Amino acid sequence: MTTKSIDLSLEIWRQKDSKATGDFETYTLQNISTDMSFLEMLDVLNENLTREGRDPVAFDHDCREGICGMCGAVVNGIAHGPEPETTLCQLHMRHFNSGDTLVIEPFRSRAFPIMKDLITDRSALDRIIQAGGYVSVNTGGAPDGNAIPIPSTTAELAMDAASCIGCGACVASCPNGAAMLFTGAKISQLSLLSQGQPERKERAMAMVTAMDKEGFGNCTNERECEAVCPKGISIRNIAIMNREYVKASVLG
Amino acid sequence: MAITGCCLVLFLCSHAAGNATLFYSTQLFQAYADQLHSHPLIVSVFSKGLFLIFAVHAITGSLLFLQNRKARGQGYKIQTRAVKNSQASSTMIYSGLLILLFALIHTAVVSFGDHGKIGITISELFDSFFVSIFYLIAFIGLALHLSHGFWSMLQTFGVNHPRYNKLISRLTYVVPVFFLLIFSAIPLLFLFGTGQ
Ligand code: FES
Repeated sequence: MTTKSIDLSLEIWRQKDSKATGDFETYTLQNISTDMSFLEMLDVLNENLTREGRDPVAFDHDCREGICGMCGAVVNGIAHGPEPETTLCQLHMRHFNSGDTLVIEPFRSRAFPIMKDLITDRSALDRIIQAGGYVSVNTGGAPDGNAIPIPSTTAELAMDAASCIGCGACVASCPNGAAMLFTGAKISQLSLLSQGQPERKERAMAMVTAMDKEGFGNCTNERECEAVCPKGISIRNIAIMNREYVKASVLG
Repeated sequence: MAITGCCLVLFLCSHAAGNATLFYSTQLFQAYADQLHSHPLIVSVFSKGLFLIFAVHAITGSLLFLQNRKARGQGYKIQTRAVKNSQASSTMIYSGLLILLFALIHTAVVSFGDHGKIGITISELFDSFFVSIFYLIAFIGLALHLSHGFWSMLQTFGVNHPRYNKLISRLTYVVPVFFLLIFSAIPLLFLFGTGQ
Protein backbone atom coordinates (compact mmCIF):
# COMPACT_ATOMS: atom_id res chain seq x y z
CA MET A 1 0.00 0.00 0.00
CA THR A 2 1.42 3.34 -0.93
CA THR A 3 1.12 6.17 1.47
CA LYS A 4 -0.04 9.43 0.03
CA SER A 5 -0.03 12.72 1.77
CA ILE A 6 -2.59 15.45 1.38
CA ASP A 7 -2.95 19.11 2.18
CA LEU A 8 -6.07 20.31 3.93
CA SER A 9 -7.76 23.45 4.98
CA LEU A 10 -9.74 23.20 8.21
CA GLU A 11 -12.50 25.38 9.58
CA ILE A 12 -12.92 24.49 13.21
CA TRP A 13 -15.38 25.74 15.80
CA ARG A 14 -13.43 27.41 18.61
CA GLN A 15 -15.18 28.27 21.84
CA LYS A 16 -13.30 29.17 25.02
CA ASP A 17 -15.78 27.78 27.52
CA SER A 18 -19.45 27.03 27.93
CA LYS A 19 -20.33 30.70 28.35
CA ALA A 20 -18.27 32.15 25.52
CA THR A 21 -19.73 32.66 22.07
CA GLY A 22 -17.60 30.69 19.70
CA ASP A 23 -16.62 31.17 16.11
CA PHE A 24 -14.86 29.36 13.28
CA GLU A 25 -11.12 29.56 12.79
CA THR A 26 -9.29 28.48 9.69
CA TYR A 27 -6.12 26.41 9.69
CA THR A 28 -4.08 24.79 6.96
CA LEU A 29 -2.26 21.50 7.23
CA GLN A 30 0.36 20.17 4.85
CA ASN A 31 1.62 16.67 4.29
CA ILE A 32 -1.01 14.73 6.16
CA SER A 33 -0.47 11.02 5.64
CA THR A 34 -3.58 9.28 4.32
CA ASP A 35 -2.85 6.46 6.77
CA MET A 36 -3.67 8.75 9.65
CA SER A 37 -6.99 8.69 11.41
CA PHE A 38 -9.04 11.85 11.66
CA LEU A 39 -8.04 12.31 15.28
CA GLU A 40 -4.35 11.83 14.43
CA MET A 41 -4.75 14.57 11.88
CA LEU A 42 -6.13 16.78 14.67
CA ASP A 43 -3.16 15.72 16.84
CA VAL A 44 -0.80 17.03 14.17
CA LEU A 45 -2.72 20.29 14.08
CA ASN A 46 -2.53 20.56 17.86
CA GLU A 47 1.23 19.90 17.86
CA ASN A 48 1.65 22.72 15.38
CA LEU A 49 -0.55 25.03 17.42
CA THR A 50 1.26 24.20 20.64
CA ARG A 51 4.64 24.85 19.01
CA GLU A 52 3.37 28.22 17.89
CA GLY A 53 2.26 28.92 21.46
CA ARG A 54 -1.44 28.86 20.55
CA ASP A 55 -4.26 27.06 22.28
CA PRO A 56 -4.75 23.53 20.86
CA VAL A 57 -8.20 22.42 19.71
CA ALA A 58 -9.99 20.55 22.50
CA PHE A 59 -11.71 17.36 21.38
CA ASP A 60 -12.97 14.25 23.18
CA HIS A 61 -11.51 10.80 22.60
CA ASP A 62 -10.47 7.74 24.54
CA CYS A 63 -10.17 4.30 22.96
CA ARG A 64 -9.53 5.44 19.40
CA GLU A 65 -10.75 2.08 18.22
CA GLY A 66 -14.44 2.81 17.80
CA ILE A 67 -15.78 1.19 20.95
CA CYS A 68 -15.95 3.75 23.73
CA GLY A 69 -18.17 6.43 22.20
CA MET A 70 -16.12 9.36 23.46
CA CYS A 71 -15.07 10.84 20.13
CA GLY A 72 -17.30 12.66 17.73
CA ALA A 73 -17.65 15.84 15.74
CA VAL A 74 -19.64 16.94 12.75
CA VAL A 75 -17.50 16.97 9.61
CA ASN A 76 -18.92 18.87 6.66
CA GLY A 77 -22.42 18.55 8.08
CA ILE A 78 -22.30 14.81 8.84
CA ALA A 79 -21.77 13.47 12.36
CA HIS A 80 -18.62 11.31 12.50
CA GLY A 81 -17.81 12.30 8.93
CA PRO A 82 -18.71 10.86 5.56
CA GLU A 83 -18.01 7.15 6.06
CA PRO A 84 -21.03 5.08 7.08
CA GLU A 85 -20.86 3.09 10.33
CA THR A 86 -17.55 4.65 11.32
CA THR A 87 -16.65 6.63 14.41
CA LEU A 88 -14.53 9.72 13.98
CA CYS A 89 -11.50 7.95 15.48
CA GLN A 90 -11.82 5.17 12.91
CA LEU A 91 -12.26 7.53 10.00
CA HIS A 92 -9.09 7.59 7.92
CA MET A 93 -7.68 10.46 5.97
CA ARG A 94 -7.60 8.37 2.78
CA HIS A 95 -11.27 9.24 2.39
CA PHE A 96 -10.34 12.86 1.75
CA ASN A 97 -8.57 14.54 -1.12
CA SER A 98 -5.77 17.04 -1.20
CA GLY A 99 -7.16 20.57 -1.23
CA ASP A 100 -10.36 19.63 0.63
CA THR A 101 -11.83 22.07 3.10
CA LEU A 102 -13.19 20.36 6.19
CA VAL A 103 -15.65 22.19 8.39
CA ILE A 104 -15.48 20.65 11.85
CA GLU A 105 -18.22 21.46 14.36
CA PRO A 106 -19.16 20.04 17.75
CA PHE A 107 -22.17 17.73 18.25
CA ARG A 108 -24.87 20.34 18.65
CA SER A 109 -28.17 20.10 20.50
CA ARG A 110 -29.82 22.10 23.24
CA ALA A 111 -29.31 19.12 25.56
CA PHE A 112 -25.56 18.99 24.74
CA PRO A 113 -24.02 22.25 25.99
CA ILE A 114 -20.60 22.97 24.49
CA MET A 115 -17.80 22.88 27.08
CA LYS A 116 -14.89 23.94 24.89
CA ASP A 117 -14.21 23.83 21.16
CA LEU A 118 -15.42 20.40 20.01
CA ILE A 119 -16.18 19.03 23.46
CA THR A 120 -19.83 18.85 24.45
CA ASP A 121 -21.40 17.78 27.71
CA ARG A 122 -23.30 14.60 26.85
CA SER A 123 -24.13 13.66 30.43
CA ALA A 124 -27.83 13.98 29.60
CA LEU A 125 -27.47 10.54 28.02
CA ASP A 126 -25.98 9.17 31.25
CA ARG A 127 -28.96 10.48 33.19
CA ILE A 128 -31.32 8.64 30.84
CA ILE A 129 -29.42 5.41 31.60
CA GLN A 130 -29.52 6.15 35.32
CA ALA A 131 -33.29 6.45 35.11
CA GLY A 132 -33.74 2.82 34.13
CA GLY A 133 -31.15 1.44 31.74
CA TYR A 134 -30.11 -1.38 34.05
CA VAL A 135 -31.38 -4.59 35.59
CA SER A 136 -31.58 -4.90 39.36
CA VAL A 137 -30.56 -8.21 40.87
CA ASN A 138 -31.79 -7.94 44.41
CA THR A 139 -31.44 -11.51 45.55
CA GLY A 140 -29.20 -14.50 45.10
CA GLY A 141 -26.58 -14.84 42.42
CA ALA A 142 -27.32 -13.68 38.91
CA PRO A 143 -28.37 -16.69 36.80
CA ASP A 144 -25.79 -17.70 34.25
CA GLY A 145 -26.65 -15.83 31.07
CA ASN A 146 -25.90 -18.85 28.91
CA ALA A 147 -28.30 -21.03 30.90
CA ILE A 148 -31.34 -19.02 29.78
CA PRO A 149 -32.53 -20.25 26.37
CA ILE A 150 -33.27 -17.36 23.98
CA PRO A 151 -34.15 -17.61 20.28
CA SER A 152 -31.08 -16.63 18.31
CA THR A 153 -32.94 -13.94 16.33
CA THR A 154 -33.96 -12.28 19.59
CA ALA A 155 -30.42 -12.53 20.91
CA GLU A 156 -29.14 -10.93 17.70
CA LEU A 157 -31.64 -8.07 17.93
CA ALA A 158 -30.70 -7.44 21.54
CA MET A 159 -27.02 -7.54 20.64
CA ASP A 160 -27.56 -5.09 17.77
CA ALA A 161 -29.27 -2.68 20.14
CA ALA A 162 -26.58 -3.25 22.77
CA SER A 163 -23.86 -2.23 20.34
CA CYS A 164 -24.81 1.42 20.95
CA ILE A 165 -21.71 3.17 22.29
CA GLY A 166 -23.65 6.24 23.43
CA CYS A 167 -21.64 8.70 21.37
CA GLY A 168 -24.60 11.01 20.77
CA ALA A 169 -24.26 11.23 16.99
CA CYS A 170 -27.98 10.42 16.73
CA VAL A 171 -28.82 13.53 18.74
CA ALA A 172 -26.29 15.64 16.87
CA SER A 173 -27.65 14.70 13.47
CA CYS A 174 -31.36 14.78 14.32
CA PRO A 175 -33.06 17.89 12.90
CA ASN A 176 -35.08 17.85 16.14
CA GLY A 177 -32.19 17.16 18.52
CA ALA A 178 -34.02 14.03 19.70
CA ALA A 179 -32.41 11.19 21.62
CA MET A 180 -34.91 8.54 20.60
CA LEU A 181 -32.45 6.22 18.85
CA PHE A 182 -30.18 6.15 21.89
CA THR A 183 -33.04 5.65 24.34
CA GLY A 184 -34.77 3.19 22.01
CA ALA A 185 -31.62 1.07 21.75
CA LYS A 186 -31.11 1.07 25.49
CA ILE A 187 -34.73 0.16 26.19
CA SER A 188 -35.05 -2.59 23.59
CA GLN A 189 -31.70 -4.15 24.44
CA LEU A 190 -33.14 -5.01 27.87
CA SER A 191 -36.80 -5.52 27.01
CA LEU A 192 -35.89 -8.22 24.47
CA LEU A 193 -34.11 -10.37 27.02
CA SER A 194 -35.49 -12.27 29.98
CA GLN A 195 -33.25 -10.45 32.44
CA GLY A 196 -35.01 -7.23 31.55
CA GLN A 197 -38.57 -8.44 32.08
CA PRO A 198 -39.23 -7.64 35.77
CA GLU A 199 -38.56 -3.92 35.35
CA ARG A 200 -39.76 -3.68 31.79
CA LYS A 201 -42.64 -1.26 32.29
CA GLU A 202 -41.03 0.99 34.87
CA ARG A 203 -37.94 1.15 32.70
CA ALA A 204 -39.83 2.32 29.62
CA MET A 205 -41.72 4.96 31.58
CA ALA A 206 -38.71 6.19 33.55
CA MET A 207 -36.32 6.41 30.62
CA VAL A 208 -38.78 8.18 28.33
CA THR A 209 -39.64 10.63 31.10
CA ALA A 210 -35.94 11.27 31.77
CA MET A 211 -35.34 11.82 28.07
CA ASP A 212 -38.11 14.43 27.87
CA LYS A 213 -36.84 16.17 31.00
CA GLU A 214 -33.41 16.72 29.47
CA GLY A 215 -34.89 18.91 26.75
CA PHE A 216 -34.32 16.59 23.79
CA GLY A 217 -36.67 17.08 20.86
CA ASN A 218 -39.32 14.71 19.58
CA CYS A 219 -38.87 12.13 16.87
CA THR A 220 -40.52 12.95 13.55
CA ASN A 221 -39.02 9.93 11.83
CA GLU A 222 -36.43 11.73 9.75
CA ARG A 223 -34.08 8.71 9.87
CA GLU A 224 -30.94 10.86 10.12
CA CYS A 225 -29.87 9.12 13.33
CA GLU A 226 -29.84 5.68 11.76
CA ALA A 227 -27.88 7.00 8.78
CA VAL A 228 -25.04 8.44 10.86
CA CYS A 229 -24.97 5.89 13.70
CA PRO A 230 -21.44 4.45 13.80
CA LYS A 231 -22.91 1.15 14.93
CA GLY A 232 -25.68 1.03 12.33
CA ILE A 233 -28.45 0.87 14.92
CA SER A 234 -31.84 0.69 13.25
CA ILE A 235 -34.80 2.94 13.98
CA ARG A 236 -36.66 -0.30 14.51
CA ASN A 237 -35.48 0.21 18.08
CA ILE A 238 -37.48 3.44 18.22
CA ALA A 239 -40.56 1.50 17.11
CA ILE A 240 -39.86 -1.04 19.86
CA MET A 241 -39.53 1.79 22.38
CA ASN A 242 -42.85 3.29 21.23
CA ARG A 243 -44.52 -0.07 21.72
CA GLU A 244 -42.95 -0.48 25.14
CA TYR A 245 -44.00 3.02 26.18
CA VAL A 246 -47.57 2.67 24.96
CA LYS A 247 -47.89 -0.75 26.58
CA ALA A 248 -46.53 0.57 29.86
CA SER A 249 -48.65 3.71 29.93
CA VAL A 250 -51.95 2.26 28.68
CA LEU A 251 -51.89 -1.18 30.27
CA GLY A 252 -50.07 0.02 33.38
CA MET B 1 -49.85 13.09 15.54
CA ALA B 2 -50.11 9.47 14.51
CA ILE B 3 -53.52 8.82 16.06
CA THR B 4 -55.13 11.93 14.60
CA GLY B 5 -53.27 11.33 11.35
CA CYS B 6 -54.73 7.84 11.17
CA CYS B 7 -58.26 9.24 11.68
CA LEU B 8 -57.63 11.80 8.96
CA VAL B 9 -56.51 9.11 6.52
CA LEU B 10 -59.76 7.26 7.22
CA PHE B 11 -61.67 10.48 6.55
CA LEU B 12 -59.79 10.88 3.26
CA CYS B 13 -60.94 7.39 2.29
CA SER B 14 -64.60 8.20 2.90
CA HIS B 15 -64.24 11.58 1.20
CA ALA B 16 -62.67 9.93 -1.82
CA ALA B 17 -65.47 7.39 -1.97
CA GLY B 18 -68.07 10.18 -1.90
CA ASN B 19 -66.20 12.08 -4.58
CA ALA B 20 -66.15 9.02 -6.77
CA THR B 21 -69.87 9.57 -7.46
CA LEU B 22 -68.80 12.68 -9.37
CA PHE B 23 -67.06 10.47 -11.91
CA TYR B 24 -70.49 9.28 -12.88
CA SER B 25 -72.40 12.55 -12.87
CA THR B 26 -73.07 15.67 -10.84
CA GLN B 27 -76.64 14.43 -10.36
CA LEU B 28 -75.46 11.29 -8.62
CA PHE B 29 -73.11 13.40 -6.51
CA GLN B 30 -76.04 15.65 -5.61
CA ALA B 31 -78.07 12.59 -4.65
CA TYR B 32 -75.20 11.38 -2.47
CA ALA B 33 -74.99 14.79 -0.76
CA ASP B 34 -78.77 14.89 -0.24
CA GLN B 35 -78.75 11.40 1.20
CA LEU B 36 -75.88 12.31 3.54
CA HIS B 37 -77.60 15.47 4.73
CA SER B 38 -80.87 13.69 5.37
CA HIS B 39 -79.15 12.32 8.49
CA PRO B 40 -78.38 15.56 10.34
CA LEU B 41 -77.21 13.76 13.47
CA ILE B 42 -74.55 11.76 11.63
CA VAL B 43 -73.41 14.81 9.70
CA SER B 44 -73.10 16.99 12.77
CA VAL B 45 -71.30 14.37 14.87
CA PHE B 46 -68.87 13.53 12.09
CA SER B 47 -68.19 17.09 10.98
CA LYS B 48 -67.60 18.29 14.55
CA GLY B 49 -65.43 15.26 15.26
CA LEU B 50 -63.50 15.84 12.09
CA PHE B 51 -62.99 19.49 12.92
CA LEU B 52 -61.69 18.54 16.36
CA ILE B 53 -59.31 15.90 15.02
CA PHE B 54 -58.05 18.20 12.30
CA ALA B 55 -57.50 20.99 14.81
CA VAL B 56 -55.65 18.71 17.22
CA HIS B 57 -53.48 17.41 14.38
CA ALA B 58 -52.64 20.91 13.16
CA ILE B 59 -52.02 22.36 16.61
CA THR B 60 -49.87 19.49 17.93
CA GLY B 61 -48.00 19.48 14.63
CA SER B 62 -47.19 23.17 14.92
CA LEU B 63 -46.23 22.87 18.60
CA LEU B 64 -44.01 19.92 17.75
CA PHE B 65 -42.32 21.94 15.04
CA LEU B 66 -41.62 24.82 17.40
CA GLN B 67 -40.53 22.55 20.26
CA ASN B 68 -38.18 20.61 18.02
CA ARG B 69 -36.67 23.71 16.55
CA LYS B 70 -35.89 24.86 20.06
CA ALA B 71 -34.39 21.46 20.97
CA ARG B 72 -32.12 21.61 17.95
CA GLY B 73 -30.61 24.82 19.29
CA GLN B 74 -27.91 26.24 17.11
CA GLY B 75 -27.79 24.77 13.62
CA TYR B 76 -24.70 23.69 11.72
CA LYS B 77 -22.69 25.81 9.36
CA ILE B 78 -22.87 23.07 6.77
CA GLN B 79 -26.43 21.83 6.49
CA THR B 80 -26.59 18.46 4.83
CA ARG B 81 -28.73 15.43 5.26
CA ALA B 82 -27.27 11.95 5.50
CA VAL B 83 -30.61 10.55 4.32
CA LYS B 84 -31.52 10.79 0.67
CA ASN B 85 -35.08 11.77 -0.30
CA SER B 86 -35.79 13.64 2.87
CA GLN B 87 -37.82 16.40 1.18
CA ALA B 88 -41.16 15.11 2.42
CA SER B 89 -40.09 14.61 6.04
CA SER B 90 -38.36 17.96 6.35
CA THR B 91 -41.27 19.89 4.87
CA MET B 92 -44.12 18.38 6.88
CA ILE B 93 -44.93 21.69 8.54
CA TYR B 94 -45.12 23.50 5.19
CA SER B 95 -47.14 20.87 3.36
CA GLY B 96 -49.31 20.73 6.47
CA LEU B 97 -49.92 24.47 6.44
CA LEU B 98 -50.79 24.33 2.75
CA ILE B 99 -53.37 21.63 3.49
CA LEU B 100 -54.73 23.74 6.34
CA LEU B 101 -55.15 26.73 4.02
CA PHE B 102 -56.81 24.51 1.45
CA ALA B 103 -59.13 22.98 4.03
CA LEU B 104 -60.24 26.41 5.25
CA ILE B 105 -61.03 27.64 1.74
CA HIS B 106 -62.60 24.37 0.68
CA THR B 107 -64.92 24.18 3.68
CA ALA B 108 -65.82 27.85 3.42
CA VAL B 109 -66.88 27.45 -0.19
CA VAL B 110 -68.25 23.94 -0.29
CA SER B 111 -69.24 22.77 3.18
CA PHE B 112 -70.84 26.04 4.25
CA GLY B 113 -72.28 26.61 0.81
CA ASP B 114 -75.78 25.58 -0.19
CA HIS B 115 -75.98 21.80 0.06
CA GLY B 116 -79.14 21.75 -1.96
CA LYS B 117 -77.17 22.62 -5.07
CA ILE B 118 -73.73 21.38 -4.18
CA GLY B 119 -73.40 19.60 -7.50
CA ILE B 120 -73.75 22.93 -9.30
CA THR B 121 -71.42 24.69 -6.84
CA ILE B 122 -68.72 22.15 -7.64
CA SER B 123 -69.05 22.36 -11.38
CA GLU B 124 -69.08 26.17 -11.26
CA LEU B 125 -66.09 26.14 -8.94
CA PHE B 126 -63.94 24.10 -11.27
CA ASP B 127 -64.92 26.23 -14.24
CA SER B 128 -62.33 28.62 -12.92
CA PHE B 129 -58.86 27.72 -14.08
CA PHE B 130 -57.19 29.18 -10.99
CA VAL B 131 -59.40 27.34 -8.55
CA SER B 132 -58.62 24.06 -10.31
CA ILE B 133 -54.90 24.78 -10.23
CA PHE B 134 -55.08 25.69 -6.55
CA TYR B 135 -56.86 22.41 -5.83
CA LEU B 136 -54.24 20.48 -7.79
CA ILE B 137 -51.38 22.16 -5.94
CA ALA B 138 -53.04 21.38 -2.63
CA PHE B 139 -53.42 17.72 -3.63
CA ILE B 140 -49.74 17.52 -4.51
CA GLY B 141 -49.00 18.97 -1.06
CA LEU B 142 -51.29 16.34 0.42
CA ALA B 143 -49.48 13.56 -1.43
CA LEU B 144 -46.13 14.87 -0.20
CA HIS B 145 -47.48 15.08 3.35
CA LEU B 146 -48.79 11.52 3.15
CA SER B 147 -45.62 10.14 1.63
CA HIS B 148 -43.87 10.83 4.91
CA GLY B 149 -46.92 10.77 7.15
CA PHE B 150 -48.22 7.33 6.37
CA TRP B 151 -44.95 5.53 7.02
CA SER B 152 -44.19 7.78 9.95
CA MET B 153 -47.54 6.95 11.52
CA LEU B 154 -46.83 3.21 11.39
CA GLN B 155 -43.35 3.72 12.82
CA THR B 156 -44.81 5.73 15.70
CA PHE B 157 -47.34 2.97 16.35
CA GLY B 158 -44.37 0.64 16.59
CA VAL B 159 -45.08 -1.19 13.32
CA ASN B 160 -41.59 -1.87 12.05
CA HIS B 161 -40.68 -5.45 11.35
CA PRO B 162 -38.67 -6.98 8.50
CA ARG B 163 -41.70 -9.12 7.66
CA TYR B 164 -43.91 -6.10 6.89
CA ASN B 165 -41.35 -3.49 5.90
CA LYS B 166 -41.44 -4.38 2.20
CA LEU B 167 -45.22 -3.96 2.13
CA ILE B 168 -45.00 -0.73 4.13
CA SER B 169 -42.38 0.75 1.81
CA ARG B 170 -44.64 -0.02 -1.15
CA LEU B 171 -47.65 1.52 0.57
CA THR B 172 -45.56 4.63 1.18
CA TYR B 173 -45.82 5.23 -2.56
CA VAL B 174 -49.21 3.67 -3.23
CA VAL B 175 -51.19 5.59 -0.59
CA PRO B 176 -50.20 9.15 -1.58
CA VAL B 177 -50.39 8.38 -5.30
CA PHE B 178 -53.84 6.85 -4.85
CA PHE B 179 -55.20 9.93 -3.11
CA LEU B 180 -53.42 12.25 -5.53
CA LEU B 181 -55.05 10.53 -8.51
CA ILE B 182 -58.54 10.17 -7.10
CA PHE B 183 -58.72 13.74 -5.80
CA SER B 184 -57.07 15.54 -8.68
CA ALA B 185 -59.10 13.60 -11.22
CA ILE B 186 -62.08 15.83 -10.37
CA PRO B 187 -60.62 19.25 -11.14
CA LEU B 188 -58.82 17.70 -14.11
CA LEU B 189 -62.06 16.32 -15.50
CA PHE B 190 -63.76 19.68 -15.18
CA LEU B 191 -60.70 21.47 -16.51
CA PHE B 192 -60.68 19.40 -19.67
CA GLY B 193 -64.39 19.68 -20.07
CA THR B 194 -65.37 16.07 -19.61
CA GLY B 195 -67.01 16.51 -16.21
CA GLN B 196 -70.75 17.15 -16.15
S1 FES C 1 -12.40 7.34 20.71
FE1 FES C 1 -13.51 5.62 21.45
S2 FES C 1 -15.01 5.45 19.92
FE2 FES C 1 -13.76 6.97 19.08
